[in-house]
Amino acid sequence: MHKQQHSDCIQRNQSCKGLTVTVVVHAKTEAQNNKYQCSQNRPPDNVFSQPPPPGTLGILTIIGGISNRLFPEGDAHTVTGQIDISGGTIAISGRFTVKDLKEITTRFEAVSVEKLQIDFSECQSLDTAIAARIWSITEGKRLRGTVIEFTGMNTDIKVVFDKFAVVESIPGFPATQHSLRYNFEDIGDKVLATWETISGLALFTAKAFKALFSGKVRGSITGYYMEQSGVMAVPIVVTLNWLMGVVLGYQAGYQMSQFGGELFMPALLAYSICWEIGPMMTAVLVAGRSGSAFAAEIGTMKVRQEVDALEVMGFNLYGYMVTPKMIALFFVMPLLVTVANFSGMAGGLTAGGIFLGMPAEVYIAEAKKALIPFDLYWGIIKSYFYSAIISITGSFMGMRVRGGPASVGRATTSAVVVSIFLVILVDALLSLLFIQLRPGLSL
Amino acid sequence: MTEIIISVESLTGGYDGSVVLDNVSMDVLKGEVLVIVGRSGCGKSTIMNHMLGLQKPYSGRILFDGTDIWSSVQSLRAARRRWGVLFQSGALLGNYTVLENVMLPLAEFTDLSRAEMMNVALSKLEAVGMDHAAFENPLEISGGMQKRAGLARAMVLDPEVLFFDEPSAGLDPVTSAELDETILSVNRALGTTLIVVTHELASIFAISDRVVMLDPVERGIIATGTARELSRNHGDTRVEAFFGRKIGE
Repeated sequence: MHKQQHSDCIQRNQSCKGLTVTVVVHAKTEAQNNKYQCSQNRPPDNVFSQPPPPGTLGILTIIGGISNRLFPEGDAHTVTGQIDISGGTIAISGRFTVKDLKEITTRFEAVSVEKLQIDFSECQSLDTAIAARIWSITEGKRLRGTVIEFTGMNTDIKVVFDKFAVVESIPGFPATQHSLRYNFEDIGDKVLATWETISGLALFTAKAFKALFSGKVRGSITGYYMEQSGVMAVPIVVTLNWLMGVVLGYQAGYQMSQFGGELFMPALLAYSICWEIGPMMTAVLVAGRSGSAFAAEIGTMKVRQEVDALEVMGFNLYGYMVTPKMIALFFVMPLLVTVANFSGMAGGLTAGGIFLGMPAEVYIAEAKKALIPFDLYWGIIKSYFYSAIISITGSFMGMRVRGGPASVGRATTSAVVVSIFLVILVDALLSLLFIQLRPGLSL
Repeated sequence: MTEIIISVESLTGGYDGSVVLDNVSMDVLKGEVLVIVGRSGCGKSTIMNHMLGLQKPYSGRILFDGTDIWSSVQSLRAARRRWGVLFQSGALLGNYTVLENVMLPLAEFTDLSRAEMMNVALSKLEAVGMDHAAFENPLEISGGMQKRAGLARAMVLDPEVLFFDEPSAGLDPVTSAELDETILSVNRALGTTLIVVTHELASIFAISDRVVMLDPVERGIIATGTARELSRNHGDTRVEAFFGRKIGE
């Protein structure tokens, strides 16, 4: 076993004699009188390096978190530590602080033997973090079949290591990340969470519709949401759908013009806008604007106990907080979709005029020839489904908020993601129905 | 003052499956100021949430005027019409002014005209010294003012029981003492039963008729009595440790 043989700097003397590897992490002589001579960016000792008051014992608890250093009684040396690795034995001597964590990890993980003995007999002090790292590394090795033996532990160190063992054995103690148990638990947790979301959303939807048909209509609140979700959304809906129309019109027209079919562009655009792009873009925009706003609003009210206050005052929460949003979107979504459809068509007209030289009257005539009233109604029908999805999902996610402001952010994100997912899912199902219902499309 | 208005019978409850309160029983007498005290995590807010019907207990009953509040939706709803709550933050709705917040229960549960509602709400705000801030946004007034406004809203339907969740939390000692006086005046003037959850010794001594002390290890009640009884040679080290802060002064 090597002791403090090097005096100035960190040295790593990886001897080739047998299996002996000597690592002097930090070493100093008494003569240096507690001054750091090491030039390896070693900062001065912090407060934890100071010896404990006379008569006090070092750390006694991990769980209590009172102290973070294992001090033997009456020791007043500065921080130095040494690891000697010899065959199946790792001897730890001197003092170790949390700054030595990386070194300890590297050296311990490098050892690969069938039986490993860790000798603490010359160890003067050990930060709790170092002890925890030694524990976790050796525990990992033990699980992989290595026989681990701790020797020479003083009472303080032994108490701490015993507590690590107790903590690990507490029922419900989180499994180590990346372990098999952790992965299984993670999968299980996610399945359960998904199921809870689905069942919770279904129950919430039922209660919301019950409140919708049994409660009173709150005109002023509903009007407020109609303005916020409808009127205020018009500019962005118009702009984005017009741009979509321009892009689609140009790309479709350009491709078709390759074989002289640009005259079919208005029809293609009319179908794609009215059947899919218009309603879908509107739903995505409303989910992003209003769905998230609903979740954030209700979530913040939850955090501020406003929801509890309303509940205790005897308010029907669904009637007061959810149904006005449902009614508002029910009325504004069809209008927004209609606006979106015309904006998209106008975009196609712009693209046709600028890029293909198509006169407006030709574009309009071709589009009218292709469309039937059902095509416009279909977008409106879909918008009713979307409005219910967005208002209910946003409210549901808001109502699920628990704890602090961070959960409001999570609820907002979930509201948008789940709303858009459900919108696309419902859209896919409705598309199957659409093929059957639209005249001239049945297979 | 011996008639029981709320009775907690063998209540076991908590959050997400964890048991915070185990087989707790207690009575609240009509007209008294009952203060529930204890260390953090002992279940003070939990027992109040159970009594308010915000959380369903795992087992046991909560009787309000002899009726189990969880026996039906109607009984819970009926009970809620007869009580008011002041939450820690005041829980005023940020979309409305202070006055509109106080008018909210009136608009929901009465057919008063807007002018009548305003009169009632303003009188309540005046009672708590908040009439000058009636048209303020609740998010732009101080914590003490928010609590006063919250108290006005809780009182607006003249409830028989008022619950207070940590009314002194976040307030300076002077504002806290003023709020205590207001709370006490509600009890003395209207005979309203008050249930107050707090761990502020000054408030406990200032307002309580009776104190119930909960303990996180016992997960239940470890002492009941007046504040003076509990603070003087009670014999239980946990009670002495809690009230000892006062004794030492």
